[in-house]
Amino acid sequence: MDTTTILFILAIGFGFYMAWSIGANDVANAMGTSVGSGALTIKRAVILASILEFSGAFFVGSHVSETIRKGIISPMVFQGHPMDLVYGMIGALLAAALWLQLATYFGWPVSTTHSIVGSVIGFGMVVGGIHAIEWGKVVSIVASWVVSPLMSGAIAFLIFTLIRRQIYYKDDPVAAAKRVVPYLVFFVFLILTLTMVFKGLKNLHLHLGFEHALLIATAIGLLAAIISHFLVKRIPTVVVTRPSEKQPPMVVKGLSNIIKQLEKMIHMARGDLGSELKRIKEEVVVAKDSASLNLQAERASAEHQTVQRIFVYLQILSASFVAFAHGANDVANAVGPLAAVISILSSGLLSMKAQVPIWILGLGGVGIIIGLATWGWRVMETIGKKITELTPTRGFAAEFAAATTIVIASKLGLPISTTHTLVGAVLGVGLARGIGALNLRVISDIIVSWIITIPVGAAGAIVFYYILKAIFG
Amino acid sequence: MRTIASLFSGSPFAPLQNHMENVVECVSKLEEMFAAYTQQDYERINSLAREISELEHKADLTKNEIRNNLPKSMFLAINRADLLDILSLQDTIADKAEDVALLMSLKKLEPIDELQEALKAFFDKNIETVHQAHKVLLQFNELLETSFGGKEAELVVQLVDQVAFLEHETDMLQVDLLKKLFAHDREISVSSFYLWTSIFKTMASLSNTAEKLANRVRMLLELK
Repeated sequence: MDTTTILFILAIGFGFYMAWSIGANDVANAMGTSVGSGALTIKRAVILASILEFSGAFFVGSHVSETIRKGIISPMVFQGHPMDLVYGMIGALLAAALWLQLATYFGWPVSTTHSIVGSVIGFGMVVGGIHAIEWGKVVSIVASWVVSPLMSGAIAFLIFTLIRRQIYYKDDPVAAAKRVVPYLVFFVFLILTLTMVFKGLKNLHLHLGFEHALLIATAIGLLAAIISHFLVKRIPTVVVTRPSEKQPPMVVKGLSNIIKQLEKMIHMARGDLGSELKRIKEEVVVAKDSASLNLQAERASAEHQTVQRIFVYLQILSASFVAFAHGANDVANAVGPLAAVISILSSGLLSMKAQVPIWILGLGGVGIIIGLATWGWRVMETIGKKITELTPTRGFAAEFAAATTIVIASKLGLPISTTHTLVGAVLGVGLARGIGALNLRVISDIIVSWIITIPVGAAGAIVFYYILKAIFG
Repeated sequence: MRTIASLFSGSPFAPLQNHMENVVECVSKLEEMFAAYTQQDYERINSLAREISELEHKADLTKNEIRNNLPKSMFLAINRADLLDILSLQDTIADKAEDVALLMSLKKLEPIDELQEALKAFFDKNIETVHQAHKVLLQFNELLETSFGGKEAELVVQLVDQVAFLEHETDMLQVDLLKKLFAHDREISVSSFYLWTSIFKTMASLSNTAEKLANRVRMLLELK
């Protein structure tokens, strides 16, 4: 076998491995909440996630892949010695994949995106010199790493504040929830469709301007909202069957009548009997209040359970949205370097114009699905058990915010960390007083991982580049 | 992956409610203690006093667990200081219940017929106030659900008002009881007299602290 074929196989192998580990580790973030709350069985979650991850990767994944392929390092620098780029990209893939394996083994919160970007920058600087790096792009990428958790936090804060004010603060939360849900569904489908359709399906040669895209998205959004309206209408309020000293409503009503009678008697009675009756009336009022408050407390608990049940559909929807966005953004981590390598190996030329071929995006998508099906489902189960505090209402707010942020970043071609974006979103919900307790140490862990990952990825890529060059050069 | 999971570790709200369960267990035992006193079963009074001490200690261990697991890096839906205050007040109720139990076991207290009825009413009212405050704390899950606002908050305010009313009634009963005690001061030994006044004071602090506790929860609410 000649060198080119070996390198070809190596590139595809490592790219596939990278996609596999993305599916094994990251996808759990999207579906974990739905599995934990029992809304989806593991099997259904895996199937749903697979469909959406693949769709995201296939339809919207090209933008970020382009950035990693040629946005960070200008391929023209390697004019004359294009194989260096090949060695470098394969080295970057390998370095990132190994670093991820290590981090997973030790339980460190490392981002796949940061690993790949660090690796690519690393070998780019060493091989091509400082000028090989598109520093403008790099600065915007690093900025997006800081902005994305903040933005998703802000959106999540707004959404949960909305849910709080429009549903939980109302006298009838269940009716309020049924009213609000179709609007939320509309927005989810609007944004999802818009991102898919607007400038999206380039590789399918479908060019749609903003007005057309908006029209289609609005139509689909309305359709989904109407369907959800009818689905939600049919949910009854859950009756609490907890044993308690719940008084039948007749008792409370009866006591109210007694109080009215007593008041009449107090007017008519003479002498000391009047004050005696007043005292008795006060005691009856207290007893009635106590009984009716117990009744109200029971009803409140049942109402809140029903609100959560209504939001379960939304949570599944938002989880699907996150899976889609994740596929769109993270497939690039595997596919970007791979596409660069393949285009050089197959044409021998450095190309600025050629798009990431569809089959590579498809390969990345398949890799993610296989990773999910073989290992990722286990991680989903584990996470699902631990994040039960993210009830459907909270989960929806956080996931919708994260998905919107990720998908916008994907359209802008910015590779961001889906995990960190989700963390930002959860913190946003927490700020709106939606979650009991959050452990902020996670933030410092994340920042430390940022600082470490880039140099390590860079160093690894450089090492592997020289090794590969020595073997094949 | 684990990042998301580790965001949620260590929520103190379930342990806080467990602690209140322990406290209420302590206080409920005082009913048995009063029954034993009525039957002049001094043995039983002693063993109950020991039991209540054990329960109070158990509550203390839960309290320390909560405090140890509340690092400054925890971001809570309520103020950290408020949470610790509530915990402290709950702890005080258990402490006072233990104090009453110990006081009652110090000597064989003779029953005074004219006081029995008022005494029972006083004991019961204090315990009822604590139970009512417990009801307020049982609403914590629903309060977390509604972010401490809305109709749920208004419901809790009404429950808190009830605690205040019960505490007021306890005060009235205490005055009545003390007057009766002073009326019969010739029939009681000096030490018994002193012991009874101590017991009344400590019992009353149960309802006083319960009211403080309920009001502390009220201060967390977001009301229009």
